[in-house]
Amino acid sequence: MDLRLAIFKPMLKIAMERTGHGAALGFQLTKVGRGEVEMTFPYKEEVIGNPVTGVVHGGVIVSLLDTCCGSAAITTLTSAAVTPTMDLRLDYMHPAEPHKPIYVAAKVYRNTSNVMFCRGSAWQDDPENPIAHCVATFMKVETPSISLTNIIRRRFNRLIKGDKAFEQEANK
Amino acid sequence: MSDALKILQEGLVKARTESSPQQILDLIPYSSFIGAEAKIEGTEVLYWLDRRPSNIGNPSLPAIHGGVIGGFLELSAAIEILYTLDVNEVPKVVDFSLDYLRPGRFKTIYANCTVLRQGRKLVNVSVTAWQDSSDTPIATARCHFLIT
Repeated sequence: MDLRLAIFKPMLKIAMERTGHGAALGFQLTKVGRGEVEMTFPYKEEVIGNPVTGVVHGGVIVSLLDTCCGSAAITTLTSAAVTPTMDLRLDYMHPAEPHKPIYVAAKVYRNTSNVMFCRGSAWQDDPENPIAHCVATFMKVETPSISLTNIIRRRFNRLIKGDKAFEQEANK
Repeated sequence: MSDALKILQEGLVKARTESSPQQILDLIPYSSFIGAEAKIEGTEVLYWLDRRPSNIGNPSLPAIHGGVIGGFLELSAAIEILYTLDVNEVPKVVDFSLDYLRPGRFKTIYANCTVLRQGRKLVNVSVTAWQDSSDTPIATARCHFLIT
């Protein structure tokens, strides 16, 4: 494993598993490679989309594939940059089965100076019989605001000034 | 007919007669998980998503998770079909295409839907999301649903 991946892996795990929406849904990053990420979502009754069948809502699959493709895009970076999603296109091949985990894998298949092209799929029993497939494109925007020292500085400010002041600053 | 289907269909009839799309949202667990709400405004249904920490994607900005925006728009499109069309089962999403136009800041997101075409089997819905003003959308989506 190269050094950059050794740094990316714990950073991605914290960002995707322990904070915000990823934590709320219970995402698990199971594999992080250069341009390749795999994740698992354990079934949750709180996110049912069809009360008749108990199948999870498609929005969960959107979140899973967006997170997985976005993470794969981040692993290809060589400098401090953010990777906003430009577009995401999803095809639902068949409905997910309730009470079973969903597995997703994403891969960056083309990486240019400005844009990263990514595809991903989600399955339950057989990767060859996916429940959904997606393509997503990500922009590469170089910015000093996401360098490690800046993130640490902002976290520190948030600790001493409190969440409210931090949000006011963020909403400026 | 299963009990769950009966509850859903009775809920749909009640929501339509009482002009309350929120009652349809209340039937779907995912909507309360992300916190989606809906009301009638003029001749349209307005959907909104108040900010909550469990919807954050990038904690250092903070920004709303792109997947939450996508999920919210897909949910709004499905509710639009159930509320405005004579469809009595949860429509099945076939494909979903989402363009992100601006970052979703940590505040309320609004959305409205337009049914572009309703066929015998397929419905095409277009959805637009905004925060400050509907002139500056943060995302647009279009989706196809199979109906029965």
